Amino acid sequence: MTEGKKEKFIVPIGPQHPALKEPGNFEFTVDGEIVTDAAVRLGFVHRGIEKACETRNYTQDLYLLERVCGICSHVHATAFVLGVEKLAGVQAPPRAEAIRVLAAELERIHSHLLWFGVAAHEAGFDTLFMYTWRDREVVMDILETLSGSRVHYSVNVLGGVKIDIDQKLSDLIKKDMDFLEERTEHYMKVVTTDETFLGRTRGIGTLSRDRAKLLGAVGPTARASGVKRDIRVNAPYSGYKEFPVKMVIDQTGDLEARFVVRLKELYESYRLIKVILEKIQPGDIVTRIKRKIPEGEVISRVEAPRGELFYYIKSNGTEMPDRVKVRTPSLCNWGTITDVAVGHKLADMPMLLAGIDPCFSCNDRMVEIRSDSQPSQIMDWDGLRKYGIEYYK
Amino acid sequence: MNLSLHPLILLLVFPGGLFLMNIGLMYEWADRKLVARFQSRVGPRWFQPFADTVKLLAKEEIIPNGVHKIMFQALPIIALTGALTAALYIPMFGFEAAFSFEGDLIVSLYMLSMMTLSIGMAGANTLSRFTIIGATRALTQMFSYEAPFLLALLGPAIAAGTWNIGKINTFAGENIWLILAQPIGFIIAVVGLMGKLELPPFDSPEAETEIVAGALTEYSGRGLALFHIGKNVELVIGLTLVVIFYLGGIANPIEFILKSAGLFLVVSALQSMFARLRIDQTVGLWWRLGALMGLLQLLAIIFGRYLGEILR
Amino acid sequence: MAIGVLFGDLVKAFFTKPATQNYPFTKTIAPERLRGKLVYDPEKCVGCMLCVKDCPSNAIELLTVDKINKRFVMRYHPDRCIFCAQCVQLCRFNCLNMSNSLWEMASTTKEAFEVYYGREEDIAILLERAAQPGNNEPSCE
Repeated sequence: MTEGKKEKFIVPIGPQHPALKEPGNFEFTVDGEIVTDAAVRLGFVHRGIEKACETRNYTQDLYLLERVCGICSHVHATAFVLGVEKLAGVQAPPRAEAIRVLAAELERIHSHLLWFGVAAHEAGFDTLFMYTWRDREVVMDILETLSGSRVHYSVNVLGGVKIDIDQKLSDLIKKDMDFLEERTEHYMKVVTTDETFLGRTRGIGTLSRDRAKLLGAVGPTARASGVKRDIRVNAPYSGYKEFPVKMVIDQTGDLEARFVVRLKELYESYRLIKVILEKIQPGDIVTRIKRKIPEGEVISRVEAPRGELFYYIKSNGTEMPDRVKVRTPSLCNWGTITDVAVGHKLADMPMLLAGIDPCFSCNDRMVEIRSDSQPSQIMDWDGLRKYGIEYYK
Repeated sequence: MNLSLHPLILLLVFPGGLFLMNIGLMYEWADRKLVARFQSRVGPRWFQPFADTVKLLAKEEIIPNGVHKIMFQALPIIALTGALTAALYIPMFGFEAAFSFEGDLIVSLYMLSMMTLSIGMAGANTLSRFTIIGATRALTQMFSYEAPFLLALLGPAIAAGTWNIGKINTFAGENIWLILAQPIGFIIAVVGLMGKLELPPFDSPEAETEIVAGALTEYSGRGLALFHIGKNVELVIGLTLVVIFYLGGIANPIEFILKSAGLFLVVSALQSMFARLRIDQTVGLWWRLGALMGLLQLLAIIFGRYLGEILR
Repeated sequence: MAIGVLFGDLVKAFFTKPATQNYPFTKTIAPERLRGKLVYDPEKCVGCMLCVKDCPSNAIELLTVDKINKRFVMRYHPDRCIFCAQCVQLCRFNCLNMSNSLWEMASTTKEAFEVYYGREEDIAILLERAAQPGNNEPSCE
């Protein structure tokens, strides 16, 4: 048989594909059903948010940054607000910090239930998808009653929060948490014992602890491989100093472990919300903060449902920030897919993609690649536009 | 019951042709509604599959580059023809079969597999990466599920002593329900039916989240509508065959509706309960578990007849 | 190892009412704090313009009819609004609040939404001013 130039059979998943909820391009080189190579291309959802932040004042930026992602909107706003408050030297009152944590945990519940449904859909298990999203409606209704909107709750303002909780709301939330805990136990049983589901998740996509550390995985993806990374425990911020969380670790590292870790995190969230509602102290919910933030730069790290979220804010004494840089958790986890994909079957690819919980909207930031051969250049706005037009001709 | 109508009417209007296609649409509605109710949703209204078909027929048919044009347009017609022809030998809706002769069971099953074969060829004809993988999976699944399904239908044929579907119907109506006498055969028949029709959990050839729509990805407009109607007719025929063979035959329209509804409930519940199996798991499940069970059932039947001969 | 763990759920779901509603025919009641369309009370407004300055999407414009007597007209663009309620938070005189019943905002035309809030005579004065030819004011587009 002549060797010559071997033809490659590439299956593209994306940019438009029923497996992806948002556009992204993955090219798997396939030999029959076995995958031999994988490549990732992102950047379809780049909206220029970081640049837009520089021409708006801090309050407007808060709402703009909230809309980087729909599922993890509250943590983006929290990270920004914590950074700005540190620059201005202001500390939000304890009741406000507790309400921020409450909203963050509710968001974690809604995000993990959403992910669970989507992952079940990728496995072809539509019934489980429908059931988990029906239970997620309970959380969405709580969030709507609490803040006024189901997505983009806009709970934060510079210096505190906007909403308050009274006794009736508190009882409603506790009752719903009990209901959800019962449902989650049922789902845990399904995930760990259903034969067809285990056939799709057990032993697939195994990532060892050393590889996870080397590739820089964050969030539940890393915790499922035994890496102890959780910002809420390693570097507590905001209300987590007063209401601590336990870290959930699993050692196996395959897809089933990722399911189990996220479901166990749900239990932690239920427990934490009940503790907060019991122990929250009365007080005011917002303090005054100046409109002009003094000069300085600050780093702010929070734990999004998908991993570590990192913000860098630089201010220059005016009402508008000088530079805001966002590094989202999903960006760190892509390396794990291309590493693990080789050797698995094509039918496992959507499950692997779903296993790291990708959030494409969070992803598209500018990445600077420094190569040793070419010197780095500085281009201004017109130069960049011309370069882009020439590149795509 | 017997029908004495002009053969052309039997062929085109009732019980073949138009009537069959409409019953196919009704079955598709029942399938979607039952699955929706199991998933705690409302489900579509009764005219939804009809509206879908009309919409598809009204759309433009786009022929992709590089395909063999005549085959591209002829394959849907061949698929639908195969499915409709298979229905002529089956006592549909409680009336006697339109045409019947000794050995029409084999002809019916062969016509049904012509439908799967044309889906496979349609996928291989279109040179898209998704369709080639879909076609490969469809043909692999066909290899796996034809043999046990035939074995499962062989059991009652041996018990009745004939290859004529009409005669098996009368035999099943007179004796004890074969689901009780050959339970393993019933299980294999139902699972084999789901594999043949590519219903979940065996819908790997048209896995929506992996290969868009499998072999039929590039079809649109009239071709897709004909394929869908063909699949619906196949569903009707498959369910009717299993009802005739295992659930005591069909003597009149009322029995047809009730028994088909009961079987449909079971099939819909099985559809919603499991995650999708990968193609290698599907084939493995079958050739390891299913074929053995089928052979076991066959041996049991032969042994039973032998015993019956001795005791007489 | 269990097969068909969801069987109990299926049976239960089959015999209970579905979780989805037939929307246009049955509607749920919106919660109290729902952030719907903005509602403005011109009587209490003093014209501090904080809501205009901090709106993330420039959805509010405050037009002055008479500054001494504090008569203002607000031009509100619901299609630009992101319903964040920052303006409600900032207003010190409680002129603004978000309605919890006006949330259905689908439209069949492509015209931009625009709502004028204010006293009848103020709006009439403004529209008359804008309709006069040869003025320096920006048009109503």
